[in-house]
Order: sequence, then structure tokens, then C-alpha cells
Amino acid sequence: MSAALLFAVGGLTSVGIYLITARSLSQIILGFSLLGHATVLGLLVAGGAAGDAPIAGTAAVADMSNPLPQALALTAIVISFGLTLFLLALAVRQQHLTGDDQVEDDLEDQRIAQGQPAENLPEETTEEITQSIEGGIP
Amino acid sequence: MLWALFLAHVAAVPAAAAAGRTSMRAGLFTAAAAPAAAAAWAAAELAGGGRTNTAELVWVGGLDVAIRLRADSLALMMTLLVAGVGALVMVYAAGYFGRNAAGATRFPATMLAFSTSMLGLVWADSVWTLFIFWEMTSVTSFLLVGHKHADASVRMAARRALVITAGGGLVLLAGLIVLAESAGSSALTAMEPVSGPAAATAGVLILIGAATKSAQVPFHVWLPGAMAAPTPVSAYLHSAAMVKAGILLIAVVGPALRGVAAWKWLGIAFGVASVVWGAVGALRHRDAKLILAWGTVSQLGLMVTLLSVGTAKAVLAALALLFSHALFKAALFLVVGEVDVRTGTRDIGDLGGLHRSMPTAFAVALLAGGSMVGLPPLLGFVAKETAIEAVLALAGAERAVVAAGVIGGSVLTVAYTVRLLHGVFGPGPPTPVGANRPLMAAPAAILGAAGVVGYAALSGVNRIVVPAAAELSEKADAYSLIQWPGLKTAFVVSVLIVGVGGVAGALWASRGVGRLPAPVGASAADGIVDKTLGFSPRLTALVQHGSLPVYLAVMGTVAVLAAAALASDFAGGHLIWWDHPLQAMLAAAVVIAALAAAFVGSRLGAALALGSVGFGVTGLFLVHGAPDLALTQLLVETVVVVGFVLGLGHLARRFPPVTGSWRSVRIMVAAAGGLAVTAALAAAGTNPTGKPPTLDLVAEAVAEGGGKNVVNVILTDLRALDTLGEVVVLATVAIGILALARVRTRPQAQTQES
Repeated sequence: MSAALLFAVGGLTSVGIYLITARSLSQIILGFSLLGHATVLGLLVAGGAAGDAPIAGTAAVADMSNPLPQALALTAIVISFGLTLFLLALAVRQQHLTGDDQVEDDLEDQRIAQGQPAENLPEETTEEITQSIEGGIP
Repeated sequence: MLWALFLAHVAAVPAAAAAGRTSMRAGLFTAAAAPAAAAAWAAAELAGGGRTNTAELVWVGGLDVAIRLRADSLALMMTLLVAGVGALVMVYAAGYFGRNAAGATRFPATMLAFSTSMLGLVWADSVWTLFIFWEMTSVTSFLLVGHKHADASVRMAARRALVITAGGGLVLLAGLIVLAESAGSSALTAMEPVSGPAAATAGVLILIGAATKSAQVPFHVWLPGAMAAPTPVSAYLHSAAMVKAGILLIAVVGPALRGVAAWKWLGIAFGVASVVWGAVGALRHRDAKLILAWGTVSQLGLMVTLLSVGTAKAVLAALALLFSHALFKAALFLVVGEVDVRTGTRDIGDLGGLHRSMPTAFAVALLAGGSMVGLPPLLGFVAKETAIEAVLALAGAERAVVAAGVIGGSVLTVAYTVRLLHGVFGPGPPTPVGANRPLMAAPAAILGAAGVVGYAALSGVNRIVVPAAAELSEKADAYSLIQWPGLKTAFVVSVLIVGVGGVAGALWASRGVGRLPAPVGASAADGIVDKTLGFSPRLTALVQHGSLPVYLAVMGTVAVLAAAALASDFAGGHLIWWDHPLQAMLAAAVVIAALAAAFVGSRLGAALALGSVGFGVTGLFLVHGAPDLALTQLLVETVVVVGFVLGLGHLARRFPPVTGSWRSVRIMVAAAGGLAVTAALAAAGTNPTGKPPTLDLVAEAVAEGGGKNVVNVILTDLRALDTLGEVVVLATVAIGILALARVRTRPQAQTQES
């Protein structure tokens, strides 16, 4: 097991966690992407040592790297790619609606935390929400 | 057959709700059909010798996750009671509620849902199945008790019942887990006897769970409050059904725990305390329904005591009591409900003289009350005789404690029964009564008459009760219920009980009803319930505060703790510095680029740093010998960077500045998370359990997949369905992005137009 790869996995995970706990959605996307890289490398390093490409006939089978985690990792790469782009589209959309891409605290949960029953919505908030919806969706 | 009956019940729940749309009566009659069928089936099975039926639905065999049902003699007896009384009570409810009562879609369906859960509980043959149905009865009974939910006191009573029984359910779950672990099996029947501290723990936890459900002192406080329910609910839940769940549980796990002293003595303590305190409560109250509810606490205590004693005769007596109690207590509740509906009150201070105006109800009340007291020729007499014989056959301290409880409780039972009957039907100016209600009178009469019929046809009752007792205690076969015991000690004790209790009851009743008793313990219980309910929003506010970053940080911390447990498995022997020097350089570059992505202030810079990470990872793939991954990563990374640059055009140039202590918390969580993942991965990677299956995979890829690139063959051949799913995900993402991006352009177009 390669310590260098372990270091890469640990470093990417750390930075990834730091970024996904940010308030800015685009930073969260960066963090998510880094965590995706860490996961894929983790799969590889757990699957065995490096070697030649697992393509029959190009190298001795004994020297080949383990193809199984590679097949799993390929799926992981593609899915995290799709998710990254989707989150990016969400960030752009939120920027358009609210003027920034900040992830705010859930209003409903804050209300519970303050001990206010859900049915007593403060009027301002309702207005704000209505306005933002009307401003965003024609 | 079990499945057919069970599914018929399940299917009838929506049917009852639909029929309830036309009228309450239609809904209730629809709901009564399924329990009636179940009761008829149980009666036929019992008449045919009581064959054991089983059914199971295995979900995850290896984890023992399955629904296992089993209808043995005991379960058949319970089915007869639960479903039979259930069907009668539903018919009665049709008379109790007016033709256009509110909640007609809700009530019949909920009643049937409760009946269904109860049937499942009776048939359950695995501790897990039992627990699921146990919780279902808690929830459905909460809905039934809270039927008149417009009234705040009703809501409070329902909540109190739910908090206590559901809390008991959690304790029970813990007990069942410990029991199943120490017995090595989750099957309830044929469970091996267990012993030792684990068994004692399991016994105590299970007893507490059962005591909450069966309203044993001090957990009985919810039962009188639950009388806020409509009377049919009280008659059903508090005679035949829910309160019997705890008794059944104690009976069923009893054989496995019989050798455990803690189980036996805690059970006797619960039982004796409830026998006495329940009877005292019944003597203090003046609401007829509350008197019956407190009487139920007392009677259930008697059953718990006898089951905890656990001798063959005591078990037989407990089941005989259970059987007769279901009949007479349901009958008494139904009579009180009829009195309530026809006179408008249940207060024994206001009632009187009803023996003239409600003769049928009076006759039923006499039969049922006589059975409760233990008079011949009624089933209750036989049960009480057997109980006293079983108690007198004990020895030492056990005999002293149990006899004092059982005999003292019986005297008080006679007293409160006399007081109740005297108060409602006895002399005095007759209370004006409303019109006859045949639908209410008939089910009460059937249940009241069952006591006499059961006594006359005692051999039939023996065929039901004795095999059921034999399921729990092998030697119970040797006994049977006897119509007339002759002049033995037990009989003399019985006569004394009735004599002393009768006189005491008459004296107490002639003294007048007195003022309403001050509640004992109820306020403390309400305090606990209030605190629990008040704690819940605060806990919710604490854990569900709505901040996404904090949620993630908490999850990260928990993951760190989980990974820390793995780190001790680390074995240094398999660790090398690198597979190739290039790998070390690339790894360092990747981490540096990642740090840059995190700490550079501008969005464009971060996007470029992310791209560098991706290309570095591509290099690592190549070094590792994974050209397919490298190729994919290269394409993906290019598109992501292009996407970022395009998307960033719409975002602010720089990230909002981050400061304060939250940043330090994030850094700490991040560092710990990275270390934990590294440690866990190192522990896993340095403990290989075998060689990678490369040889087999290569051979099969060529022979079966017809391709040389093994990774490609795995993806398109072995995992073809997964790959198809992946394509679907990508297509969905593309549609989603398109939708999000399209909406963006419209408002601008609008502003231009305007």
C-alpha cells in the first residue's frame, strides 16, 4: 500500500470537508468534487498495488493492477461529474434568484429553534418568500 | 390461512373508511366483518382440536429479518377473545354513535387497524414481529383514545397514554434484544430457558414494558385518563385487547425466564401492588367508567401475579382469569356505556333505580358483576377458585405475599363491585332514561350471558384454556377447571371473601359516594409527561437548527469517531512509500492544488486549482496502471473546468470572506476527518484478506466477455445494468441543468419587453 496515495486521499478529504462546510454553494461544489477524487483514489489504493494496465495480451497478468476497483471507480467518476455540474447549475440559478450563492439556514427550523409554532409565520417573512418566488419564476 | 385472515383485515381498513363516508353505522359493520371471520375461524380451529398454524415471510434470511406468525392453542384463545370481543364492540359502537356522528371515516378504520395490530401481536412468533405489532397497537390506541380530539383534556389523556406506552415499548425493545441475544434465537415459542445477569436484565426490561401496556402500578396512570375515549374503545382496549398485550407477553416469555428470580419477584411486586391499589382506586371514584378502569388495573395485577408465580396451576388460573375477565369486563363497560347514552351521566352519585327502567342492562350487569366477584354459576367463580387454590399451594414468603395480595384484592373487588351495582341500579329515585338501543343491548347481553354459558359448558372452556396453559407450562395438562370444588379450603376462603367484601361494599355504598377523590400520583405522572413533551422541542431545536454546514460538521465528527475504532488494526508491514517516485510528486501536487482551491480568494482561481487537482489525479491513475480512468478523468475534468468558467460568469468574482471561530472549527473537523479516513484506509489496506482476483477476471474477460480491456468488459458486461443506470443519471442531470438554465433567461426577456 502506497503511503503517497494515502497522503493524497487524506489531504483531498481534509480540504473537501473544509470546503463543504462553507456557506458558499460554489465552494461546497469544489469540496464535493475534491471528496469525489479522494473516494476514487481510495478505491484504487484499497484494491492493491500499482501495475500495468489490465488489458489482456499487453502485459503479464501477474504484473497487472487490479481491474475491479477501476471498474467501480469509473462509475464513481461519472456520477460525481454529473452531480458537480448539476450543483453548479443550482448555484448559478440561486445567484440569479437571490443575488448570491449563500446557503442560508432553514427558516422553518430556525422558527422551531426559537420556540415559535409553525403556523405563526411572521408576515414579513411570508412576504419576502412570496416576493422572491414572484421575482424568480415568471 | 393466517395470511388470508391478516390480509383480509388489512384490506378491510380502507374499505371501512370508504363505507364510513356514507354513515358511521355502515363503516362499523364493514369493519366488524373481518374480526368476526377471524373469531369464527379461531372457534372452528379450537373445536377441531387446536392445530398449530404457522406462516412466515422472510425478508433477509441471514439477518433473521422476517415476519413470523404462529397460531398455537394460546394464540387461538387470544384470537377468539380479541377478534370476538372486537366484532361485538364494533356492532355496539354502531348503536353508541348517532347515525351521523362525526369522524365516521376515521373511527371504524382506526378501530379495525387497532384490531389488526392486536391480531398480529397475538400471532407473532418472533420478538421482532411482536415488537412491530406492539408499537402499532400503541399508535392506533393513541388515535382511538384521542378520538374526541377537539377537547384539550382528551388530547392530554391520549398523549399521556402514548408517552407511557411508547416509552415502555422502547424499554421492551431493549429487553427483547437482550433476551434474543442470550437465548440465541428470536423465536418466541420454544425459547430456551436463559439465566445469568443478561437474563435478569432482559426480564426486568420486558416486565417494565409489559407493565406500561397492562397498566400496572406505577405505570397505570394512563389508564383512567384513557377513559376519555368513547366507551366502545374503552370496552375493547381495556378489557379484551390492548391491556392484555402485556399479560400475553409476560405469559409467552415466561417459560424462558422462569428460573430468573428478578423476573419473578418484580412481577409479583407489580402484580400485588396493582391488585390492591387498583381496587382502592375503584372504591374511591364515582364515575362508573373510572371504577371499571381502576378495577381493570386490579384484575390485570392478579394475572401478572399468577403468571409471575409461574406454577402450572397458577398459569392455568391466570389464563382462566384472562378469559373470563375479557368477557365480564367488556360486558360491564358496554352496560355503563348504554347507561351513559340513555341517561346522560355515568356518575354513581346521580344514578340510581335503573333496575326498573333498564332491566336487561341490570341483568347483564348482575351476570358480569357476579363473574367479576366470583359467584357461581359463572365463569369468574371457576377462575377465582383456581387462582386461590394455586396461591394456597405455594409455600413460605411467596405464599404469604401473594395470598395477602390476591385475597385482599379479591375482598376489595367484591366491595367495589357491590358499590358500583348499588350506585347505578340500586334503590333511589329512578334516573330518567332515553329510548331503547337494541344495538347496544345485544352485544352486552351476549358477553354477559357468555359467563353463564361458559360455566355450564365448562368442558368446552377447558378445551380452550387448558391446552393454552399447556403451551406455557407442560404440567398444566394435569389440571382442569372444575365447576364445583366441594368444601375445600379454597372454597371456604372464597366464601369469606364474598362475605367480607359484600358487607364492606354495602357499608361503603350506604355511606354515600363522597366527594371526588384527590388524584394520587397522576400529577407527578403528568409532570413527567409534560417535561418529556417540553423537552422534545428543545431537543429538536438543538439537533435540527437548520444550518447545513453544522449538520455536515457533526456528521464528519461522527465519522471520525467511527473510523478511530478501525485505526488499531493498522499493520505497518504492507506499507511502502510509493509505487513509483512520480506518484509521490503527483500526490504532493494534488494536495497543494486542493489547498489552493480552498484558500484562494477568487472564484476563477479556485476553478483553475480544481482543474489542476483533476489533472493531477489523472496522472495518478496513469501511474497506477488505470488508463481507462485516466482517459475518463481527463474528459470529465475538461468539461467541469469549462462548466465552472461558464457558470462563474454569473457569480461574484470573489468568495465572501470567512472569519471567526467557525472557521477554526471547520479546519479542525476537516483535519480530523482527513486523518480518520487515512487511518481507516491504512488499516483496511494493510490487512489484505487475499490476492486481487486479477487472473480470473482477465481469463473470463477474454473467454466470456470477448474483450481484452478487462475494465471495459466489467462495465459493459458484468455490470451492464449499473452502467445503464449511470447513463440514465447523466441524462437526468442534463435535463435538470437544461431546465435550470432555461428559466434564467426569461425574466431578462420580460424586462426587455416591458
